[in-house]
Order: sequence, then C-alpha cells, then structure tokens
Amino acid sequence: MMIPDRLLNFLPWALATLMIAVMVHLVSVLLMPALAPKDAYARLASYAKTVGINEGVVALPPITPGAEILPFEDASFVEAACIYDLSRRPYHVTASAEGEDFFGLSFHASGGRIYHAITDRSAIKGKFDIILGNTRQMEAIENASDGAAPLQEVRITAPTSRGFVMLRVLAKRGSDQARIREQLKSVKCENFDLPKN
Amino acid sequence: MFLERYSLYLRAGLVMIAGLLLGLFTTVLSLNAGYGFNALEAGPWTAWPSVGVPDSDPYARAVIARTGETPLGRDQGLVFTASTDSSGAPLDGACDYTLEDPTPPARFWTLGIVSTKGSLFANPTGRFGYSSADILRHEGGGFNINVSRNMQTGNWLSPGEAHQFSFILRLYDTPLDVDTQPKADRFPKITKLNCA
Repeated sequence: MMIPDRLLNFLPWALATLMIAVMVHLVSVLLMPALAPKDAYARLASYAKTVGINEGVVALPPITPGAEILPFEDASFVEAACIYDLSRRPYHVTASAEGEDFFGLSFHASGGRIYHAITDRSAIKGKFDIILGNTRQMEAIENASDGAAPLQEVRITAPTSRGFVMLRVLAKRGSDQARIREQLKSVKCENFDLPKN
Repeated sequence: MFLERYSLYLRAGLVMIAGLLLGLFTTVLSLNAGYGFNALEAGPWTAWPSVGVPDSDPYARAVIARTGETPLGRDQGLVFTASTDSSGAPLDGACDYTLEDPTPPARFWTLGIVSTKGSLFANPTGRFGYSSADILRHEGGGFNINVSRNMQTGNWLSPGEAHQFSFILRLYDTPLDVDTQPKADRFPKITKLNCA
C-alpha cells in the first residue's frame, strides 16, 4: 500500500499549511482597519491639509468625476467633515438643521467604521448639539452636570481618540447646492476644556 | 546529502510560505466579495445594512478601511447597488438600459451610476444621478431613466467609456425592514435594450 502511506506523510504538512493560512487570514482581516493606508480618515486628513480647516470644519468639494475625496459618496449631497482628536480634550459639534433638507451626521472611528449616526429628525429645535469624548472625559462631564438642568446636548462616547464626523446635507435639486454650502458654514467643531470640579 | 539533512526544515519553510500566501489570498477574496455578512438582496439590488451599525463585523470594517469609504448609518438610510440587470446579466457599458420605477418607501431617494470603485463618470450634462425630487416623472408619478453612452432625452445617465459599472440606489430615512429579504418587485427594474 504505497499511496496511502504517502498521503499519510503529506497530511500533517497540509494541516499545518491550512492552520497557518487560517491564522494569517484572521490576523490580516482584523489588522486591516489599523493598517489600511488610504482609509477615510487618511483621505480626509490629507485633503484638510491642502484646503485648511475653518472653525474645525473641512468643507468637502462638490462631488465630481476625478475630484472625489471619498469613494461611493452621493453626488446629490453637500458634505463637510470634522476631524477630531480626543486624546487631551473632549469635542463639541454644533450645527443647525434648517428646513426640510435631509441632514445626516455620522460618527466614525479612525478606520472609517461608524459608531453613531443621527439625522435632522432627531435634531432638537432645529439644532444639533453634540459632545464627544472618551470614557474618562464623559464621566467627568456626567459628574460635573449631576442634578443640573435637563440635557441640552447629545453625549456620545467615542471608541477611539481619533476619528471624524461626516456632515451630509441632501441637495434635492442641483440649484440647492450653493444655499446648503452656505448653511454648512454655520457648523462648528472644536475641542473644549473639561469642567473643573 | 545536504538536502536530505535539512529536508524537514525546507518543508516547514515551504509550509509557512504556502500558508502565508493562502491566508492573504483568502483575505483578498473575502474583502472583494462584499461587506461581510447579512446582505439584503432584491433582484439585482444588494445592500449591506451591517456596515452602518456600531457592532459591524470584522469583515465589514476591513472592507471599509481598505476602500476608504464612509458608510451611511443604519438609521440614516440604506444603500443598494446593482451590477447586473434584472435578468442577472452583468451590466455592460456597450449596452443601453432602462431603469423603471417603483422605488421602496423612503423620505428621499437618489439613483445614480458609479464605477465599480465608487467614482463618477464624466459626462457633458454633469449628471451622476437623480433624486426623488428632481427626476422627471410620467403622469401618475412613475419614471424611467435611460442609460446609454449616447445622449438621450428625458432622464439620462451615462457610463462614459467604462465597460463595467453599477447602479446605486440610496434610500434616506427608509422604513424598510432589514430583517427580512425585501421583494424584488418593489425595486427599480433594470432592462437591457440593445448593445452596440
């Protein structure tokens, strides 16, 4: 019985190959968000360097062929982004959602994954007022405002200290774009100091 | 003599290299195959609702990081793409197509044309899609979009010189249930007309 013997010799090597393949596969998938060089955060950050940041907000250019900062964005939208770093101080985002336009804010960790999203439907009196912080900063803010007046703002705990907020407003007609671009200038994104106890 | 002495080491080295290549190959395959798990399918249209939630799976996260896209939040909307027509044949830039209503319920929708990498096609009208507010409708509210390299009257989208492309249907504030597969007859029908 020649063949089964050879197969038996080959089997442990095949199993070892398979096991290494499975490990490499899992590790490469899990590391991809940390290692991918052109993720949304990197794209936005490099664009922000070229155009500058106004009140913490990077206004993204109209989505046209060859000038897309991010792939798969809706060309009917006017967009802006706030790139944040929570390593020292928490972050405050304010925007007004006027009128009937669809206005979406999504909160992304540095790899691009989303951890929170809202639309103008959950704006309070036409305003977004959002505080972002890491767990420690949020605890400090909770403690400082204990028993105070009802919450004016939405508080979100961010999973990573670096990330970005995408602001997207739908221009139902092409002619709405200029008006919405103007409206997005009222968005403010900034770090602020933790309240002192 | 030398080879025999070290054959075990050689084999182990080969196994490591083969395992490494096989592992990376399956990673590339799985990341090109979509956005992880739980796809919603309706005829030619596919959506991946799990990319828009905080506890997205590792595959969805890896794909997003690699392509550099910023998904829409699940509560903001759903994005469906189609890379075949309603009969299942791959979309071909050399052919003309027509897209016909209906669209699933949503506060707003947009319907556009993109490359397989998510970029837009240049065309003389600067049109890359239509929204529920600005599309030209028939009497009764229905619509159709002509898709062709050559300029058309009415609603027109062009794939430019590309051979492969996708349609992308974005539903904003949609009550669509993501736990059950939606019905294909509630989505736009993609019909191939003639090919050049």
